[in-house]
Amino acid sequence: MNVPGVPDPVAGPVAEIRGLVKVHGQGQGRVRAVDEVDLEVPRGQTLAVMGPSGCGKSTLLHLLGGLERPTRGEVWLAGRRVDTLSERALARLRRRSVGFVFQAFHLVEELTAAENVELPVLLAGRSRREARRRASLLLERVGLAARARHLPSRLSGGQRQRVAIARALANEPPIVLADEPTGNLDTAATLDVLRIFEDLRTAGQTLVIVTHDERVAATADRLVSMRDGMFVDDTRLAGSSPRGLDGLIEWEG
Amino acid sequence: MGSLVLVVRLVLADVRRHRAQAAMLLLAVAVATATMALGLSLRGASEALYEQTRAATAGPDVVALSGDTGPAVTSALASLADDPKVIAHHGPYRIVYADLTTRGSDRSPAGPAPVSSGVVVQGFAETPGTVNRPLVTSGRWVRPGGAVVERGFATALGIGVGDHVTIAGRSYPVVGIAVTAATSIYPWAAQIGPYGGPSDSSGLVWLTRSDARTLAGRDLPVTTAIDLKLRDPVAAEAFAETFEEAHHDSTARMNLHTWQFIARQDAVILSNSQPILVVGSWLLGLLAVTGAAALAAGRAVEQTRRAGLLKAVGATPGLIAAVLLTEHLALALIGDALGLVIARLTVPGIAGPTASRIGDAAGPGGAAVATATVLAVAVAVLSTLRPTLRAVRTATVTALAAAAHQPRHRPLLTALSALLPTPLLLGLRLTARRPGRAVLQAWSTATTVIAIVALLTLDSQAERGYGLNGSSALPNLRGELDRRLMLAVVVLLIALAVVNTLTLTWTTAMETRASMAVARTLGATPGQISAGLSAAQVLPALPGALAGVPLGIGVCGVFGARNVIMPPVSWMLAAALVTLLVTAALTALPARMAARRPVARALSAESA
Repeated sequence: MNVPGVPDPVAGPVAEIRGLVKVHGQGQGRVRAVDEVDLEVPRGQTLAVMGPSGCGKSTLLHLLGGLERPTRGEVWLAGRRVDTLSERALARLRRRSVGFVFQAFHLVEELTAAENVELPVLLAGRSRREARRRASLLLERVGLAARARHLPSRLSGGQRQRVAIARALANEPPIVLADEPTGNLDTAATLDVLRIFEDLRTAGQTLVIVTHDERVAATADRLVSMRDGMFVDDTRLAGSSPRGLDGLIEWEG
Repeated sequence: MGSLVLVVRLVLADVRRHRAQAAMLLLAVAVATATMALGLSLRGASEALYEQTRAATAGPDVVALSGDTGPAVTSALASLADDPKVIAHHGPYRIVYADLTTRGSDRSPAGPAPVSSGVVVQGFAETPGTVNRPLVTSGRWVRPGGAVVERGFATALGIGVGDHVTIAGRSYPVVGIAVTAATSIYPWAAQIGPYGGPSDSSGLVWLTRSDARTLAGRDLPVTTAIDLKLRDPVAAEAFAETFEEAHHDSTARMNLHTWQFIARQDAVILSNSQPILVVGSWLLGLLAVTGAAALAAGRAVEQTRRAGLLKAVGATPGLIAAVLLTEHLALALIGDALGLVIARLTVPGIAGPTASRIGDAAGPGGAAVATATVLAVAVAVLSTLRPTLRAVRTATVTALAAAAHQPRHRPLLTALSALLPTPLLLGLRLTARRPGRAVLQAWSTATTVIAIVALLTLDSQAERGYGLNGSSALPNLRGELDRRLMLAVVVLLIALAVVNTLTLTWTTAMETRASMAVARTLGATPGQISAGLSAAQVLPALPGALAGVPLGIGVCGVFGARNVIMPPVSWMLAAALVTLLVTAALTALPARMAARRPVARALSAESA
């Protein structure tokens, strides 16, 4: 039996935000980065969030993933309210429930590609063997099995981002949050990343992608547009069908 | 388990990536802990050497000496030998005070020139008894006409078996070299001097009884002694006290030296060494913390970003603190182990500055190991505290976007510094905006000046040589040891301070490269930038150098002798000035390197 007001962790949305407000700064420098926003992300959906720079889309993603705390409102992830959790509890939640992909990759520079992917698995308390198995599987999936022992400094930007995606998937989180994942990539690398996202979408992975890039947004199931911290549009798209991605590849070609 | 693997993996990876920094921390800790362990081990080491010599030479528990002659003395010595607490004795035997001159040799400290010294001649039987049997380490035991020289004395004189020595005008061939536990080490063989008074700076020679009697016949001062073995050696001091109380009114003055007294006297030669090493180790420890903090400041941005991305993938603040602390703690403990090994290897060379004792000096004991380890852990914790707190407290998103430290705006200082020439303007603003860095630089400089003041103070002490009448033909071993140790500690302190200054300059240069590049675009020359970066280190070094002089005087006052002679103030101020000039010179190289970076590259790196 569901408790009223509490999302069903199985059938309900993977992520939900209610009346979310985030204020940065103080006094005259106060900025409402996110302003009274409500959102539900159903299981298996690929949601793109677009908007001009400074509109609050990255802040929204950080709030959703528990990297920042809201000024007001509620954030629910996998049926659990996260905005009231302690820093320690948030860290534990991120291990299991959220995978992050950043524009700047944020790989640990002194660890190899495989070790970077193993990192969340080990953090989750799983064995070294299991971590190695997961890393091997995921690097194979993103086409980097041959580069597993390379340090990030020896990988191209696209390869680094693919390692970051593999790392985000390491603990099979119910949701992956990607902040401008193709922002630092050239066209070829962007297409590689989009292919991986398409595979994830097909496999039923829930994805929230913040992007400036219309090509990336075009591959989503749903597009939310933001301006001045508020949603100004919420559109259902055809999604990144194989035909859609092929069309994009053709167009880029 | 997974977290443990992760901590180990991250620590190893970080150490591999920053090998030079890891090596610096490790060496700084090793130097500090070695110095501390060495300082704390000296007393135990000296005692251990005495114990081994005592065991090998059937050392007496009590040596009774009297500078008087006559029946009262004979009766007192006989009563001692007959005491029920005494189980064996050697003597009475004659001790003659004379002068000894060597012929001079290449082994002698004075070269081929003859060396003269006060000598204590003990007349012994050709077959040693059961108590006080000197151990012959080379040659043979006394025979008529031949002398056996105590090993510490022989080493100081540079003589060996086959050489000749002249005692009170008569030449004797050296037939043997030996050690004994019945007297203190060279130069305190006399125990009591001629006529029962105190004595210093004399060596020990054994002749046969008849040769000693002949020598005494030349109107030289003589003392009579007897060596006693007690039923309960531990009670030797109580035995001596009881005897002295009972013979308080006796006409014969008797001095009773217990084996504990002799062991304590042995340690006197190291009495200055211990504070030099222990205080030195505190200063070295503090400089190690300063160096580690300087390195941490230079890596603050990188460490914060790393903490941010670990948090983003689910690491708790505790795990991040564990990674940072484990790395420094592991390096510090390895450094500690290295330091203890160094101390163990160095103890024999320092604990036995004379060759009067045999055996192996004990290495650092439990207390020394524990104290050195506490020092190492303190260095690790103190140097990790700030970066750990920063990494743990910084919000994840802020940490991921970590940029170079944004210093506070200081409008008054900005307005005031505008009146200064460009290099001073830049230097003053850099200093004032990074007060933590300024404190580290000031402390590093102050430590250097404290060490130099201590060295100058040691050099200012009046010192008598161990040669005849205080001649420096035989060097003062105690002073030499103190100077050698002080020099070693000062060199280590200066080396660490130099590394700290270079690190602080370089990290400041790296952190301010964007603002310095902006200054270049506004017309500042590379020379002005370089001078500004140097000024940023020299400005805090100035109060550090000035504070170092009174602090150095204070340290010497607290840990030095009561009648310590301080060097002239002008010398100490000159030391402070030289330290400042050297600091300025040292900062010039990293500052110049940083100032030569292309402006466009610096600006684009910052905006990337």
